Amino acid sequence: MSSREHILSKAKENKPEAIALPNIDLEVFKDAKVLSEEFILKVETAGGNVLNATSDKDVIAQINTMFPDTKVNFSTLEGTESFNTVDLNKLEKPHDLENLDVLVLRGDLGVAENGAIWIPDHQIPMRVLPFISKHLVLVIKKETIVPFLHQAYQKLGNTHNDFGVFISGPSKTADIEQSLVIGAHGALSLSVFVQ
Amino acid sequence: MTHSKAASIFNKDEKKVNWHDKALWFVRHKRDIAAHTVTGWEELRNLGHGIKAHTLSNLDTYLTQFEENALKNGVQVHWAKDGDEHNRIVHGILKEHNAKKVVKSKSMLTEECHLNPYLEADDIEVIDTDLGERIVQLAKEPPSHIVLPAIHKKKEEVDVLFQEHLGTKPCDGDPQYLTGEARKHLREKFIHADAAITGVNFAVADTGGIVVCTNEGNADMGAHLAPVHIACMGIEKIIPKQEHLGVFLRLLGRSATGQHITTYSSHFKKPREGAKMHIVIVDNGRTEQLSRPDFRASLHCIRCGACMNTCPIYRRSGGHSYDATIPGPIGSILSPGKDLKKHSTLPFASTLCGSCSDVCPVKIDIHSQLYKWRQIITKDTQQPFVKKTSMKMMGNIFAKPTKFEKVGKVARWSLRNLPKSMINSKPNVWGKERDLPLGPKESFDDWYKKRQKNE
Repeated sequence: MSSREHILSKAKENKPEAIALPNIDLEVFKDAKVLSEEFILKVETAGGNVLNATSDKDVIAQINTMFPDTKVNFSTLEGTESFNTVDLNKLEKPHDLENLDVLVLRGDLGVAENGAIWIPDHQIPMRVLPFISKHLVLVIKKETIVPFLHQAYQKLGNTHNDFGVFISGPSKTADIEQSLVIGAHGALSLSVFVQ
Repeated sequence: MTHSKAASIFNKDEKKVNWHDKALWFVRHKRDIAAHTVTGWEELRNLGHGIKAHTLSNLDTYLTQFEENALKNGVQVHWAKDGDEHNRIVHGILKEHNAKKVVKSKSMLTEECHLNPYLEADDIEVIDTDLGERIVQLAKEPPSHIVLPAIHKKKEEVDVLFQEHLGTKPCDGDPQYLTGEARKHLREKFIHADAAITGVNFAVADTGGIVVCTNEGNADMGAHLAPVHIACMGIEKIIPKQEHLGVFLRLLGRSATGQHITTYSSHFKKPREGAKMHIVIVDNGRTEQLSRPDFRASLHCIRCGACMNTCPIYRRSGGHSYDATIPGPIGSILSPGKDLKKHSTLPFASTLCGSCSDVCPVKIDIHSQLYKWRQIITKDTQQPFVKKTSMKMMGNIFAKPTKFEKVGKVARWSLRNLPKSMINSKPNVWGKERDLPLGPKESFDDWYKKRQKNE
């Protein structure tokens, strides 16, 4: 018997009698929090900062003042090509992005309860981008903010993604004596623009 | 070595124990604050419990469904009966790709299977990339906590360790500087890795996808750069549907560190273009645990570590005293199922206060299971003479009211009149670190009778 068959037959033999799958009743989680306020609070709690922007051009203008001296920049926002200093088509491997300073991506939705933003693969030209960049800038539309993860997954249920990530704040660690240090292996800072 | 003996070694440095105790209690406190902001938190825990119980009762079906969907996604799926087979499979995949340098993100499963020494024996470099794991790897120690692997290390120790291995400057243990140096050191490793190994937090049956949660971004740095990604999971990581992630991701971060969600919750479904992805599904004693009605709920565990942070014994004895891959209360109900004899003292490393069960995000009845393991262990394994006889004597006394009254009288008198040296003599281990209270002049029974008479 192969290991596969062995494991499956033992699981079948040893499992308890069928237990029903519980229904998720979203009513019990309802609270009186204001979505946009809660979202800002949670992004800040996670170590990020939230800014307002009127347009994609406005986003880039604000980034240029936030990071005036960066050398390697890349944005996927439309009409912001002049901001880009790298051509992804000319890259041979993702490793060449190692010196990326600022990356601007659009997120599909934001989650108020934890400040997480959903970045599916169609928003990322290369999967490693949001992790390898020194500074990460995410842009979302205000109306895409949902209260809880439950609603986020309801929306995601209708989409097909080969890869996707919820990002909440910059990378961090507290592995040395529980002292929080922002900037572990991923981005050193996260800025979120709400349009 | 028994747990209490190992704990007494950890207890030699009282200052460090006090620090350890407080640091973990601080994490428990952060968990409370985060949990209390969620309306319907208890309902969320019930859902976590219910979904896991349902999944286990259909485990074979969901595993098959998961495999089918993962294969459709272009992922290769492997099955391993035990740790040894798991190691052979991972080794085989690495050989096939001629991989000599491997980066690994946190995976308690690969710790359980002792993957690193297996690969290192064939000159494959395995680098643990989670900062805490890297620290213990350099120190040649196992992790002492499943979420905070280096919680037993003081920053000064990390400073010395990094000076020796990474060539850092002395810095009085400055966490900012040390973390920055680790980032540089590990960035180099990510860039040159031939393969990346990650754990799995959740495997979704209806999509064939896996979810990996980190704060540091190390799993993603590894998996998106290396040409091969190997994800290793225990069979109990399965959940039926993607929407169930909504329940578990809400519970996990808050229970683990008091964060509302980890920084990165990465959903892997298909390998990236030009890269390969493998999933290794491991049993290693889990189907055996599934066969035990009293203990199968231990397989609900989502590895948040909340039971460790809250446990008065864990906080004061340290993770290494458990001598098991998963320490703390949850480890003490998992380990006896694997090797009853080796881990026979673990279920006794508890006050049965029940705090572990109270904080468990998937409502595992941890303290009841500890109690149940005690019943089995006392029957099946040889108990120390002093414990056996004293338990028998106590049983005898408690069974007979007149005897109980007589012994009580003697005990109360003794506690008032005998010298401390006699009360705290060797057989009384309770008196090792603490004094017993002064014996009262009357028993509760006497007091109660008197009170009734006076009324």
